[in-house]
Amino acid sequence: MPSSRPQTPAGRPAARSKRGSAHLRLRLGFMVIAMVLSVFGARLVQLQGIDPNSYAAMAAAEGLVKVTLPAERGDILDRNGEPLADSVDGLMVVADPYMTADEAPVLAKFLANRLDVDYFRTLRLLREKGSRFEYVARRVPSTIATDVVTAAKAAGFEGIATRPDPIRDYPAGDVAANLIGFMGTDEALGGLERTFDTQLSGTDGSARYEIGGGNRLPLGESTITRAVDGEDLRTTIDQDLQWFTQRVLRQTVEDSRGDSGFAVVMDTRTGELLALADHPTFDANHPLASPEEDLGSRAMSDVYEPGSVQKVLTLSGLIDAGKVTARTRLKVPGSLARQDRVIGDWFPHDLIRLTLAGVVAKSSNIGTVLAADKFAEGELRSYLSAFGLGQTTDIGVRGETPGILPDPSIWTPQAQDRIAFGQSLSVNAVQMTAAVNTLANGGVRVSPSLVRGTATTDDGRRVGTDTTTTRRVVSARAARQTTLMMERVLDPEEGVAPGANVPGYRVAGKTGTAQRVGEECGCYDGSFTVSFAGFAPADDPRFTIYVVVQNPRNGGGGGSVTGPAFAKVMGYALRRYAVPPTGTEPSRLPVEW
Amino acid sequence: MSSPAVQIRSRVPRLAGSAVERARLTVVPRRRVQAARVPFVTLVSLILLGGVIGLLLFNTSMQQAAFAATALESQAGSLSAREQTLRMELDVLRDPQRVAERAQAMGMVPAVSSPFIRLSDGKVLGDTTVSTPADNLRIRPKAPSLPASLNPPPLVVDAPADPAASGESGAEKRRGNGRNR
Repeated sequence: MPSSRPQTPAGRPAARSKRGSAHLRLRLGFMVIAMVLSVFGARLVQLQGIDPNSYAAMAAAEGLVKVTLPAERGDILDRNGEPLADSVDGLMVVADPYMTADEAPVLAKFLANRLDVDYFRTLRLLREKGSRFEYVARRVPSTIATDVVTAAKAAGFEGIATRPDPIRDYPAGDVAANLIGFMGTDEALGGLERTFDTQLSGTDGSARYEIGGGNRLPLGESTITRAVDGEDLRTTIDQDLQWFTQRVLRQTVEDSRGDSGFAVVMDTRTGELLALADHPTFDANHPLASPEEDLGSRAMSDVYEPGSVQKVLTLSGLIDAGKVTARTRLKVPGSLARQDRVIGDWFPHDLIRLTLAGVVAKSSNIGTVLAADKFAEGELRSYLSAFGLGQTTDIGVRGETPGILPDPSIWTPQAQDRIAFGQSLSVNAVQMTAAVNTLANGGVRVSPSLVRGTATTDDGRRVGTDTTTTRRVVSARAARQTTLMMERVLDPEEGVAPGANVPGYRVAGKTGTAQRVGEECGCYDGSFTVSFAGFAPADDPRFTIYVVVQNPRNGGGGGSVTGPAFAKVMGYALRRYAVPPTGTEPSRLPVEW
Repeated sequence: MSSPAVQIRSRVPRLAGSAVERARLTVVPRRRVQAARVPFVTLVSLILLGGVIGLLLFNTSMQQAAFAATALESQAGSLSAREQTLRMELDVLRDPQRVAERAQAMGMVPAVSSPFIRLSDGKVLGDTTVSTPADNLRIRPKAPSLPASLNPPPLVVDAPADPAASGESGAEKRRGNGRNR
């Protein structure tokens, strides 16, 4: 090499003159390279030194998807597992007005035809200025929503999309609606839905993963937190029996032109509520179509005076205390002047000679007051308290009233007279059913329950069949004697409620027609609460049923209005649960002497 | 320092000279072993090629699996939506109200009695009354009565003698009614 060098300048003098000196070219070259490199360097400093995170985030966000995995809300089931409320996958249809405004009329017509939405409202939404997100329809079953959006895309419309939006469905409409309550757009608004919301709602999960071209990248980032679905709530309600009870109740209230009514069906041995019906009620799928006062459970929240049904509690206490028997003879005058007022009977009579059974069968106030005089001081109150009056039943229904059992300090002899036949104290329907059920269950009170197993309410109480308590209130002998007396109430000749008979079965029951405290004046306003409580078969009770109608305007009483309703529901329950007649002779207790 | 080696050499008999000559250590000439290059290069190339192709196939199959997963996921989603819709329809079909309405439309009435036969002695227990249509339950709410404003007393108009004038006023009346509704 060195030997060839001297030849070069001599060999190509012309080339040198064209390209300039090598040094100059090298310098220029280096300068260009240095300039380019310094641009690169500056960019590097900008990327890595000044603002590294935003670029990293942008890179990561490209194709990274974050989705919420909605937890499925637990169902509310009846005792056989049939859903009273269930959750269905749904979608919401949303629009981007920026993209839909141009074709709004056509698209609105398309959506109104397919989605059951209002054309004019939709048209306004699709043209909303300055908005990029409007709800077209919410809680649409996902098959329908997907079909509609696919069809819209196929027809060339843009700016319509779907998002997950679970639907709460009440398949049986108004069946047990007063108990179950209903859901608002996003939260539980009443009834069991709200009381047990924590258990039912579950926890939403989430997922983060990278996608490319709509597919998940196999080795990309992927984090999944699974959703924890809500737990089902199983009630003791029997859907079919509840439906039947509601229809009988509605017919009864409508035909008697009453204000409202409720009916309770209880399993005698376990205290489970098989039906708890209210009228007026509402359709849980469309709660806003009904007045607000109909959305709760009147059977739990109405306080009213029980009237003559109460007499069986008073008299069973008397028998238990050993003061009387079913055959105790009483001389019942036509009216009874007591300390502050005159007590009368619902039917005019002169002095009649009734046995205690006759007092029950004919529902004599005077006879009951005369018998109750035998109570020691405070005895009646302690019996009624043991029957559960004046205390909430805690079955898990919102807005339950404890009723009013007067305090010992205001328990005067006059008050005791009225309380003995069911005025001057107030109850709720489930309380009263549980009290009468005590007699059906041989004198042992079983606490009522609406939830199978256990569940925790929103104020932290545990309720349900697992927390059932029992306590003896009156002796088995007292309960049996009272039952025999109650059978006489349905006697076609001697009793006041032959219409409550279930043919073929022995039935024990008691009517009630109580003066009612009006809402406006806060006094007895001349309206009545009529009721019938009873159980069957009388010698081996399986069901206790209580039917109440508020303010019937057809002049009927407990025997004529609620008695037949009781008979229908009781007959249905006995058939449904295949309870055979016991085939024994009915009670023949004498009513007069 | 006139070393023992010299003494030994001097003492070594001459006849051993050739053996000593033979025993002198010399450097073994390096044997240039020409390892065959071709198999090694082939092996490495094959491993490399295999690795690359394997990776490529593996990646492709994973992509295929991702496509399949996406398709299956969307299929599962639509099937579960379909299942839920069907279940919702089923719930509607077995709504007690609907069943009762269908039954009544077919002329069925609720049972008022259900007698039992005791197998031991063949005795019939309970009531054996047969249901009649009078036992029917009213399963729909009573139609509400119209409020007075929507249920006005019939309007009686004296027909005028002139038929042309009557036709005109009649048309006017109908329009008026339409507005009121």
